[in-house]
Amino acid sequence: MISTPENQTQDNCFDTNKKIPKYIRRSILALSIDDPLLEKKSFDSWADAIILDFSKKSNCGWQQDIHSRMPEAINIAAKGGAEIFIRIDNKFAKSELEATIFPGISGIVLKGAHSAADLQKISSTLDSLEIARGVHSNSIEIDIEVNNATCTWNLLEIARSTARIGIFFLNEQELCINLGIQTEANLPFDPLEYIKSELITVATSIGGQAVGMSYPLSLASESIDGEILRKGILRARDTGFKGAVCPHPDWIKLCNSGFRPSEEEANYYVKVIEVFAEGIKHGMASVPMDGKMIDVPVDLRAKVYLEWAKRAKARDAEKQQAHHKL
Amino acid sequence: MKKKLTERRSWMIVPAHNPQLAKTIAQYKPDVAVLDLEYSVAPKYKEQARANLAKSISRIASESIEIFVRIDKASRLADINATIHHGLTGIIFCGADHEREVAEIEALINAKEKERGINSGNIELVIMLESAKGFWNLGEILQASSRISAIGIGRIDLTMQLGPTPQNEFRLFRYLMTRALIAGKMHGKQLLGAMWRPDSRGGVANPASTKLAAEQAKLMGYTGCICASPEQVSPMNLGFSR
Repeated sequence: MISTPENQTQDNCFDTNKKIPKYIRRSILALSIDDPLLEKKSFDSWADAIILDFSKKSNCGWQQDIHSRMPEAINIAAKGGAEIFIRIDNKFAKSELEATIFPGISGIVLKGAHSAADLQKISSTLDSLEIARGVHSNSIEIDIEVNNATCTWNLLEIARSTARIGIFFLNEQELCINLGIQTEANLPFDPLEYIKSELITVATSIGGQAVGMSYPLSLASESIDGEILRKGILRARDTGFKGAVCPHPDWIKLCNSGFRPSEEEANYYVKVIEVFAEGIKHGMASVPMDGKMIDVPVDLRAKVYLEWAKRAKARDAEKQQAHHKL
Repeated sequence: MKKKLTERRSWMIVPAHNPQLAKTIAQYKPDVAVLDLEYSVAPKYKEQARANLAKSISRIASESIEIFVRIDKASRLADINATIHHGLTGIIFCGADHEREVAEIEALINAKEKERGINSGNIELVIMLESAKGFWNLGEILQASSRISAIGIGRIDLTMQLGPTPQNEFRLFRYLMTRALIAGKMHGKQLLGAMWRPDSRGGVANPASTKLAAEQAKLMGYTGCICASPEQVSPMNLGFSR
């Protein structure tokens, strides 16, 4: 598009037609397909997304075993309206992908990647599997679970390696161990602060998003007091994370309500848009409101945030519908 | 016998031109002795410092202390020539900006090892990062020599170049320490540095703040640090102990 005075503002700020965030995945829960309560836990969780893990039988028949059980596991885990992902170990990616790619999944979570070359290989395997398994071409997303120094160092090239990349998140326990950082929250600051900043920036630069939690809750693995968790989620959201991988089902409800603009914020943004529109009508480029100055970027942000709130509400309605079906 | 990288907690630095100071090293029990040819040696004593090295290295090595020599980037050829002797554990090279500088050092050490009958590849190399360029090129720098066993952060030079005006803590250094940590761990190197505070750092840090700086650095994956004064050796050893 040629830049003109009319479209210049949109070019220079951000495109309101582009979805921000790309996905509504505020709460992500990992469950095992070996769990006899998989159906109940998935359904009762109200998570936006579920990552399915699997363990391999020690004998050589593991691939056939997982291949035979995975379609049913995907089906039952999705009953509550969650998007389904399969966690794949980069070391065994090809054989694990062959055993787990079926219709009904939104993507894979790749753990242990080191380089763009790893991603290119996996994307190529997915190209073939999508055709073989009757899955829409290029529909299977790849999300990156960052758990090692090399992956962290190569983040940008990994992000740019394939158009399938969707979400980035840190496996903080494993990354800390890999980096030699204490896994107990004994520091007065987040030792991964700068890695998180890079993760958010890189993910956003390719049109994806990052999910994660603020320190020290990011190292927690248990149920947390509601008020502490609510504040931690707010801090994570305001840092740029669009959701979190929940280490405990108790986190999900607060993540669903926290990783989105609140009702109060939405009301404020409605007012911002109204006040600014009124000012524009009167030939003003910026308008005072409650002691603040509303101009084009603030108006655009208000529109994006309202759209985000609307989509989060729609996602909740989808899950409600899935629950009422049964 | 060489120590494990995690056993090199305190790197006590002494000017190489003063053999009397070098004789006091053992009493402070540092894990590593560093004979300095850089900042702590005035230009008029540089030649004398180089001339003292062979004898000092031999004597310190006889006390079973590992010895590194910190060379001056500006006079690196002469410094390396004077430094490579039996008993030396490694060289500390400060201010690398590009991999080609490290490759040049690598070639010089190779040649001197051969010339002086030292096993090839025996002399280690420690890279102290002192510039924005060095941080940006870190991935390539670390691949320029297989001798590199550790990387550290040269805080004073970085502060001069990057110009932060720290109030309560060096927030900029947390970013730099994180970047060095990722690169170092990716290549299996020891990380040298401490979480100094602006009002208590380097040569002026008292024992308590030295220990705290080491403890916090340890939590961040760092396992040793240069001691600008002998009094920092003991708290550094304590702070970095497992």
